[in-house]
Amino acid sequence: MLEIQKLTKTYSSGVQALREISLDVPNGMFGLLGPNGAGKTTLMKILATLLEPDSGMAAMNGIDLIGDKESTRKMIGYLPQEFGLYPTLTAEQTLHYFAKLKGVHDKKDRGALVDALFERVNLAGARRQRVGGFSGGMRQRLGVAQALIGQPQLIIVDEPTAGLDPEERLRFHNLLAETVSENAVVILSTHIVSDVSSLCSRMAIIREGQILASVTPRQAMNELAGSVWEASVSREKASALKSRCQVLSSQMFDGLARMRVISRGERPSEEFNPATPILEDYYFEVVNQREQSS
Amino acid sequence: MRNPARTPFGVIFQNEVLLNSKRVALYALMIFFSSNAVLWTSAAIHYGWAINSDFYIARNYGGFAFGILGLPLFAAVIMADPVIRDFRLGVDPLIFSKPISRAQYLLGKFFGSFFVLACCQAAFGLTMLLLQVLHTPRMLVLPFRVFPYFKHFFLVVVVSYLLFAAVYFTLGTLMRNAKIVYGLALIYYPLYIAWQVVILKRLPPRWHIVLDPLLFNVGPARPFERSPDYLNNFVVSYTPGMLANRLLVILAAVACLTILYLRFAITERSGNAEKISVLNLSTGAAGFYYDPPRIEPALQDHFEEHEKVLLPEVSRSHAGISANVNQLIAALGVELRLLLSERSLIVIMPLAIVFSTLDVAFWSVAPEPSFSAAYAGHTANATLLFLLGITIFYSVEALHRDRELKIEPLLWSQAAPNYALLLSKVLATLVLTIGLIVLVGVVTIALQVLKHNGPVELSAYLRIYGTILIPNAIFLAAAIMALSVLLRDRYLTYTVAIGTCAGLFYLYSQGHHGWLYNPMLVQVWTYSDLAGGSRFAQILAQRIHLMAGALAGLSLAHLFWRRPSNRGLLTHSRLTSSGWSVAALLVFLTVAFTVGLMVGL
Repeated sequence: MLEIQKLTKTYSSGVQALREISLDVPNGMFGLLGPNGAGKTTLMKILATLLEPDSGMAAMNGIDLIGDKESTRKMIGYLPQEFGLYPTLTAEQTLHYFAKLKGVHDKKDRGALVDALFERVNLAGARRQRVGGFSGGMRQRLGVAQALIGQPQLIIVDEPTAGLDPEERLRFHNLLAETVSENAVVILSTHIVSDVSSLCSRMAIIREGQILASVTPRQAMNELAGSVWEASVSREKASALKSRCQVLSSQMFDGLARMRVISRGERPSEEFNPATPILEDYYFEVVNQREQSS
Repeated sequence: MRNPARTPFGVIFQNEVLLNSKRVALYALMIFFSSNAVLWTSAAIHYGWAINSDFYIARNYGGFAFGILGLPLFAAVIMADPVIRDFRLGVDPLIFSKPISRAQYLLGKFFGSFFVLACCQAAFGLTMLLLQVLHTPRMLVLPFRVFPYFKHFFLVVVVSYLLFAAVYFTLGTLMRNAKIVYGLALIYYPLYIAWQVVILKRLPPRWHIVLDPLLFNVGPARPFERSPDYLNNFVVSYTPGMLANRLLVILAAVACLTILYLRFAITERSGNAEKISVLNLSTGAAGFYYDPPRIEPALQDHFEEHEKVLLPEVSRSHAGISANVNQLIAALGVELRLLLSERSLIVIMPLAIVFSTLDVAFWSVAPEPSFSAAYAGHTANATLLFLLGITIFYSVEALHRDRELKIEPLLWSQAAPNYALLLSKVLATLVLTIGLIVLVGVVTIALQVLKHNGPVELSAYLRIYGTILIPNAIFLAAAIMALSVLLRDRYLTYTVAIGTCAGLFYLYSQGHHGWLYNPMLVQVWTYSDLAGGSRFAQILAQRIHLMAGALAGLSLAHLFWRRPSNRGLLTHSRLTSSGWSVAALLVFLTVAFTVGLMVGL
């Protein structure tokens, strides 16, 4: 289990990226959902030992992730949001290199591990290609492969599917789902709701450096059951409805505004029909509540 | 009439100046040039020359343009990468999708960077100009003047560097590799001297003037044989031959830029992905992105369920020296592989070997005290310049490569110790420089045999290269790495390293060889010193002092490296990575200081 307590980080530019964040992350896949600039990457970097927080604590199975970076690095696997690879090395050379850095020195063991990793990430056919010629999806899968080396107890995956096409995203979801084990925490930061709904057993919503909610996706849906309504109305009517209803989202479709609103207990107006809550509704509900309270 | 500042050319020009104005290195460069303009007045005081005489102004600009302060190298740093930078940062599609022509883009980039270069150079001239007012009592000053400063600056420095800039810019842009340009800048000195000695000297004096790209011989001939009065009243005038020379240089620059215009393509090259492989997954969208989940079931059909591949259990070892040595070897292997894939090496290594051995290949060598000693001594002196250049460029590049390729987060989150990651870069550069020394040695021996200047005494080569060159290479690799880590900015490191070396070599050329500021023992040893002469023990002690200094530098680099480490010097009663750095730093500094005192530094 990963415990985070009152983690704070302010950059020298004055941007307060994290404001006393506290989270308990159980084993399994955990989604950290938030818009760009919410502080997700800052939190991921701190957990991956690449950034010093101003204050606070993070510990995993008794190891202090902030104070004891050398021990932490032995037990984590990290896939950053933005990363490069040495373009002149082949995929195989790259994985062997990372395996050696992770302490897998036995040649036979390393060979077997690298073979299995290539099979796992479906890159066996490209193992002798230079990574400079890889597509974004292939490089991302190679990134996952290096993060899985050495049975990490904490796998940190930062915005892994942004920029991937839908097909590659689905392949990547499957790959991430396979990495989940009972003994490891996989923390996945993303701004894509479907990444969380497809993969995570628990999630937290982060915005402006603060955790707004920490729930399971099912709890989130249950909380909104019977409260979400949907209607397609003209643009003029939509403006009028916005002042009367608590709007979750509004999208233009076929010349009409497709609105989703929240209303507990009663139908907001006759145009609205009951809708099945989705995770996005929960996100907007939490964010709206936060904005109203502040 | 359209405001030139609002044309695409004007906008790119201004942006280039703006980008350069944020580089600290350029300000350091200006300070360096200014301080040298002051420093150089010591020669004027010594010889009784007025510091604002036409002769003195033109002479100083001549030396400045020739590159006593490393100006060709600085010009390469500024001019090599304006376009490469756009491609590296991925700004190129944003620029090329705007209504802008190739010519506007290239000229805006070129003249923007050249303007910045000229501004840096102007710091030297402006300081000379100001010295007329802010001079010391020992300086001889003629009535205040302004025009000669601008006239000679334009004709001697600006026009000469227009050609340098055009060549560097063209090569950097077409090759998309700044290191090839740096290599070219490095070989400029031997190339220019060879051009003067081998070609120009054999031509009639008129052609000598017309074909000298730097117009180096502007001013009176043999100035040291003239009286100060004569020189102070001498007016430097530009003959038709000199003006033709300047015109020729401008035309050559134009030809260079024309070739660039014809060859430059704004479309992406197929092989480019291999040079710069950066994966940027940020969508840049500021808002919340929602992808409807209903897409997914449709796509699910395309994928067949496959069996989960189980990863084998492997034993891992992080503790102990052998585990860390294995990690160091792995990192060194990758660094060497990356170094060997550098295209610039294909140009630089052969040229370094050729120019290091040029002296012994084409001129007769006196057997003092033996042919082998003389051959090894000559090539050791010539190789030093290349050791310097290669170490500076490849060390700095190695340290900044990981950040540039955005591989740092992957590497730094691994359980490898700091010293394995850092030392691998130092060792890779060292392998390269020692490889150069060995190759120069082999070629020199071959030349000695071919010229029938036998017998070959291997011991002479081993003694000179082993005592002088190899410790110098180790010291340079460590010192440059420490500087890179401490300064962090790549261009600032180039500026400080090249500036320091240029300043020191200027001092050596003026006869100041004090061992305190001559760690590489330039021009202070003879073969008899190394062959057990009276100063052998002193030289040996200085070498130990140098090695201790190198290790102290590495400890410093290890201590200040940006990768976050465990806090404090001790954890669980054991030294942390920083603790080891501090302990090693103290030990090596003590050794360096003690041995330094023994040597009499």
